[in-house]
Order: sequence, then structure tokens, then C-alpha cells
Amino acid sequence: MLNDVIKYSGIFVLLMLIQVLIMNNIGFSGYVNPFVYLLFIILLPLEIPAWILLIIAFFTGLTVDLFTATAGLHTSATVFVAFVRPYILRVIAPREGYEQGDEPGIAKNGFRWFILYVVLMVFIHHFALFYIEVFRLKQFFYTFARVILSSLFSIFFIVIIQILIIRK
Amino acid sequence: MRSLLNFFIRFSNIIVFLLLEVVALYMLSNNDGYHNIMLSNKLIAIEGSIEKKISSLSEYLELRAINSELAAENLELRNRLERVFRDDEQYFTPVNDTVHRQQYLYKGARVIRQSTNKQKNYITLDQGTRDGVEVGMAVVGPDGIVGFIVGTSNNFSIAMSVLNLDFRLSARFRKNGYFGSLSWEGLDRDIVSLNEIPHHVQIEIGDTIETSAYSSVFPAGIPVGQVSGFDTGGGDFYSIDVKLATDFYKTDYVYIIGNMLKSEQVELQDSFDITN
Repeated sequence: MLNDVIKYSGIFVLLMLIQVLIMNNIGFSGYVNPFVYLLFIILLPLEIPAWILLIIAFFTGLTVDLFTATAGLHTSATVFVAFVRPYILRVIAPREGYEQGDEPGIAKNGFRWFILYVVLMVFIHHFALFYIEVFRLKQFFYTFARVILSSLFSIFFIVIIQILIIRK
Repeated sequence: MRSLLNFFIRFSNIIVFLLLEVVALYMLSNNDGYHNIMLSNKLIAIEGSIEKKISSLSEYLELRAINSELAAENLELRNRLERVFRDDEQYFTPVNDTVHRQQYLYKGARVIRQSTNKQKNYITLDQGTRDGVEVGMAVVGPDGIVGFIVGTSNNFSIAMSVLNLDFRLSARFRKNGYFGSLSWEGLDRDIVSLNEIPHHVQIEIGDTIETSAYSSVFPAGIPVGQVSGFDTGGGDFYSIDVKLATDFYKTDYVYIIGNMLKSEQVELQDSFDITN
């Protein structure tokens, strides 16, 4: 238990550093900003109680908000994606179900499952994030394009980070 | 009682979710103008000091470009100075003017963080209240307007960028003085739109747009950009696209402009109940 807390704290700090120091400063041509901190929510254990997940998501989003100076924006999107995470996991569950004590990851569940999981999580998160940000349906398709583009980059970086750094 | 308890247990997740979401959205809705609890002065300061370290790293790489930019501006200012003095000597005798009061004061500042990829972009500057920066001061770059100050701490300040859905400015045509309201639509990062210009005004692509005199923030005549396209559209007004003079991808050094007579102007206008 304590081990887990230390491990996830480490992942949290690492992802925040990558997010704040690297990702927030990239901005490909100004339209895209990858959000890799979502990987933290993605990696949390499968059987974590939903309310703890929500609270963790709240503080994760709050931390990002602090550094991007967007009070509440990332918080609301991250809490939302944490809320739908159990449903996503149920929908994409393998036929034989998850094993006791499973953690989501490429090693345990296979590459295809992981990609599907990441794509769904990132897309829902970005969808919420960008539409909350503009808060209007004017230019719906423009915002939608931003969602798709940013999602692609986020998915790319999340998979890279998962493979390179947080493999175990 | 038991059924009520059961109800809460059953829907505890949804209740926690709604609670947290309401808190988050509440913070978001109070985020306008940066006067909320989340970004109190302390937070701006912490953020600022972190960003300062980051930007000082990346700054070395851009020194050459910054240098040439400053040199170009210097040249332009020297030329302007030359013209002013020559005119004075030719046509006027110098007088010791004790009545003259300077209205605008310029102050150099460095951009230590800025975003361009959001819908509400802000810029962090390395000058704060200790340097005399106050909320409501204008921020301009060598080429044109950049934004205005919306939050300050001791050593840092935050400016709302032109690239912000909440940004509004009164701007006019340099050639004939017709003015309208300028705002950013959230699409291209170098195009803003100018509205409320009536149809009878002759406009052409390439016309220069500058700040009007009807703002207590910006001095009149600071370049905004050039007309890049217009559309007669429906209604009585043009919808005009203005290409910004400032390149928001490479703003490094900016000027903060304090209007020393602002309080006087605002006071007078308030006393006559004029809102501007």
C-alpha cells in the first residue's frame, strides 16, 4: 500500500514536470498543446474506489491549472474523465475480465487494449477541456478540429512516455 | 432514514462527481480578469519565479534575434529623435516649459511566459507593483499593441493578450479616423476583427489600424495592424479582418505604458456619468 503511494507520487511528479516544463512550452504552431498529465489518471489501479479516483483527479487538474493559470479548466475536464473511467473500463474489458490487482498498462493488458483505452480517455478529456474552454457552440467544427489534433499528439506522447519511462 | 442512507451510498460517486465538478466550474467562472482566489498574488509570484528560470534558459538561444530587433527599434527611435530636434531648431526657439506634464510613461519589461494556443491567452511579465506596474496599464511591443495588465504581484504582472476572447479595444483607421471595436474571434493567431465600421467608409486592404483616443488604457496612435480582408456582410457594418502588427510567437521585450493622467480622466468622466 505504502509502496503504491510512493510509486504513484513519483509518477505524478514526473508527469507534472514533463507537462509543465516540456509540453506546455511546445505549442506546435500554436494550435496544439499535448496534455500528458492524463496518463496519471490512466495508470491508477483498476479497482481504486471511484470517489478516491475523483478526488485524485480533482487535485491533478488543480495542479495543472496552477501552472497554466487556467483556474478550474483542467480540473473540471479531469474530474469528468475520472467519472467516466469506470464505464470505459467496463466497456473495453477483455472477455475473461480483469485480474485481481491489475494495473492498466501495456505489459499487463496488451498493446491494443491499452491504445483503445488511452484513445477513449484522451478524446473524452480533450473534448470536455476544449469545449469548456470556449464555452460556446459557435465554431463547433473548428474546436472539434482542435480536439482531434491535440488528442493525436497527446496520445502519441502518452504512449511514448508509457513505453519509455513508466514501463514496469 | 435507512433508505436515505442507502440512497447516498448508492449514488455516492455521482454526488462526489457533481460536487467536485461544481467547485471546478465555479473557479472557472470566477476566473475573469484574474481577480479570483485561485490566482492570488502569491500564486502569480510562485509561477512567475518558476517561469523566469525556464525562460532565462531558452532566452540564450534567441539572443541574436532579440538583439537585431532592438537595434532596429533603436534606429527608428534615433531617426524620430533626429526629426524632432531638427524641427525644433529650425522653427522654434527653445522654451523652458514648466506647464507641460508628461501623460504617458514607458517602462521596459520582459515576457517570461506567454500562451498563444488557448482561447484566453495571458502573458506574464517580469515587472510588478514594486516597479510601479498597476492593473489597467497598456502593454505594447516594438511593432504594436500586445495587451493590458490584469494582475500584479510584487515582482511580476500578468497581461491579457490581444489573443483573448475577452479582449476589447477601441481602434480606428489611421487615414480617416473612423473607429470601431476590436476583438479576437479565437481563430487565427494573427487576425483580429474590427467591427462597427459603417458601410459608407471607404476601406482598402492594407489600411493601417491604430488605437483610438477613446481608451484610457492605450495612448492614441499605437499600431494595431493592417486590414487583410473585409466583408460587407449583412447589416450596416463591415466585418473587417486585421492582421496584427505584433507577432505573438516572438514577443520577448515589451513596454508597459502607464497613463499618469488616467485617474484624473476617469474621475472626471465618472462625475459626468460617462462610461467608456
